[in-house]
Amino acid sequence: MEIGQGTAELKEKLRILSDAAKYDAACTSSGVDRPGKPGTLGNASAAGICHSFASDGRCISLLKILLTNHCIYDCKYCINRRSNDVERAAFTPDEVCALTIEFYRRNYIEGLFLSSGVMKSPDHTMAQVYEVLYKLREVHQFRGYIHVKAIPGADMALIDQIGLLADRMSINLELPTAESLRSLAPHKSRQTILGPMRQIQAGIVDSRLSMGQTARLERAYGAKSFSNGIFRLGEQQRDGLGGSAGHVIDGRDLSVGQALEGYGGRRGLVRRERNEIRTYVPAGQSTQIIVGATPESDYHMMMVTQALYQKYDLKRVFFSAYVGINEDSALPAPGEKPPLLREHRLYQADWLLRFYGFRAEELLSEDKPNFNVFLDPKCDWAVRHLECFPVEINLAAYELLLRVPGIGAKSARRIIQARRMGKLDFPDLKKLGVVLKRAHYFITCGGRQMYPVKLEENRITAGLISDSQKKNWQIEHQESFRQLSLFDDMKLEIPPTVEDFHKAAAGQL
Amino acid sequence: MKGYLCEDTVEGIFTGVYDAWVSGMEIGHENVRLFLKRQYEPELFFEYEEVFSDADKAEKVARTIRKKISGEAFRRVYRTAMSSQPDRADAIYRFLMEGFRYKEDTLRMLQLPAVGRVFELARKVANEAHLFLEFIRFKQLKNGVLFAVIAPKSNVLTLVAPHFEDRFSGENWIIYDETRALAAVHEALKPYAIARLTEEQAGVFLDKNKEKDGYTDLWKVFFNTIGIEDRKNYRCQRTMMPLWYRKHMTEFL
Repeated sequence: MEIGQGTAELKEKLRILSDAAKYDAACTSSGVDRPGKPGTLGNASAAGICHSFASDGRCISLLKILLTNHCIYDCKYCINRRSNDVERAAFTPDEVCALTIEFYRRNYIEGLFLSSGVMKSPDHTMAQVYEVLYKLREVHQFRGYIHVKAIPGADMALIDQIGLLADRMSINLELPTAESLRSLAPHKSRQTILGPMRQIQAGIVDSRLSMGQTARLERAYGAKSFSNGIFRLGEQQRDGLGGSAGHVIDGRDLSVGQALEGYGGRRGLVRRERNEIRTYVPAGQSTQIIVGATPESDYHMMMVTQALYQKYDLKRVFFSAYVGINEDSALPAPGEKPPLLREHRLYQADWLLRFYGFRAEELLSEDKPNFNVFLDPKCDWAVRHLECFPVEINLAAYELLLRVPGIGAKSARRIIQARRMGKLDFPDLKKLGVVLKRAHYFITCGGRQMYPVKLEENRITAGLISDSQKKNWQIEHQESFRQLSLFDDMKLEIPPTVEDFHKAAAGQL
Repeated sequence: MKGYLCEDTVEGIFTGVYDAWVSGMEIGHENVRLFLKRQYEPELFFEYEEVFSDADKAEKVARTIRKKISGEAFRRVYRTAMSSQPDRADAIYRFLMEGFRYKEDTLRMLQLPAVGRVFELARKVANEAHLFLEFIRFKQLKNGVLFAVIAPKSNVLTLVAPHFEDRFSGENWIIYDETRALAAVHEALKPYAIARLTEEQAGVFLDKNKEKDGYTDLWKVFFNTIGIEDRKNYRCQRTMMPLWYRKHMTEFL
């Protein structure tokens, strides 16, 4: 596709509209496997592919841009709010198509992540988004990944149509409670966010069932089969969202069965085109919560996250440490450091929910509402539950192995496979990818511990903290100066060479 | 002790395995070792023998691996052969010794040093190949061909080309490995092929690489604005995208 003489103008637009989009955390291209088709452009791989990493270390997988940063809303935390005096621009649908396809052909990106400010009305904006997607999929036959942000308040029919063309859709929850939302985003409400989220979920269920799949999304590493996990069958009936406002939408409750009744029978959610079945939002939906703009505790965040996974069957919940950009009495002052360690802890806990069979209530409680600054959530849980340890590597069940700090889903699997063939010892575990530095306090091999350490909370905590302190400090103080230590050798240590050994043996050293 | 010197190709290594196996049966496998012609250091007490690549012998070895061990084992051995570590040929030999003994269970027996080593090498190659799926950057030449240069440590060309064949089936593209002077060449709607280039041909390729592409500037604009200033973290960036990968990446040129 040629871009011709408008290049300088396009460059300017791209600068403004990618700058405006960068505060959105999600940039994954995962969840859908779509092989290429001879003669057309693109495919998609379920694991997702990152293409570059920005100066903040976040991956660049998709062309993350806004269609426009004109906005009629005035959300206090947002850089593009109406009352801000920033440069404004808008792409035409054809420009977005050209950028996506040409970037994709050069292997810069995995696809498009299209979001937008609200121009004129939610419907008007969503209609433009639809035009972009329609042109990409139908005119240019683009088979790469497309992630679209749904705009709260847009017409349901529009969202349904877009869902057939996109791989993933997301609606940002932004703030975990209805009260915070009211104070910071006066034009949005819990209803206008959860409503479309429910609608997309119902669409996905419809589409999956008519394809002969299970109603709920697939989860990696057997997470659906954990006896106590959050994705266990029947789990969705549990109470969710901490009783806060808005989990009943226009009188309908949220179980999958009822969602089906409510929106069901929409055959239109699977479309057969050119001998190919097109499904509705095949990579699932996601959402984003801002961390640190409002006073909610980590416990509250995790309970909301868990409820979103259970009740809305979200694929991912993203956390975004609030970056102070706007001056407002209701917000932290601009220039304050974003709470990166807190965001990191929330993601660690999110992984524990999704892949390790933990529940939010196990990690935190009303009495202990925030994560330990020094220890990651899994270590923290383990030292508080020493009655579960030590775990015998050669005998323990998969679910139990997963609870050991330093053993992940992959290494737990490898342990299960390898121990069928013979007994495992500590050096073998190292080869399988277990992080013994953390794990050795909690495991035995053949009844023996690696070092004679007593199972005592204080002692183990001290040991674990000394390992992780440096790491935590680095997360909080990225790219800043480092404290000099008397015992710091500045990594100048050179391992002894063969000659050194000879010299030492000959008494020359 | 006997050492077999084989060529640094899959065919060469497999022929080496075949020849070494024959004498290993007589004098014991522990007394036989495989070396690569260009990467070995002569040792005392070793009798060296040169291996001449033979397609038939290599084919037999490949077939036996698939049949006696498993298809996955063959893929792992193949990836190991694409590694740049000097012990890769011998690692494969040791692995196959275990493999023919434990059959399809071998891959899971990571406790065995030989199996562990092949696992390690193969994983390293696979990881590098995956990163090149991410970091290869094409440039559109004046004649419409998409052209990319890479300088990988392992020989990843045959591991990345199928991905692009599927993705860019309707495009003409070339991926050129400048360290090995190999190129994966794909003509629209046809299967790709690997070509070994002469110095002259390589020169033509590198000349082509100097052509300008209008979209590189746009990509740089995007790349530079998308990072958040308050979160800047070059250390994390380097972990995810080590510096040596950036040699031919558009955003760092």
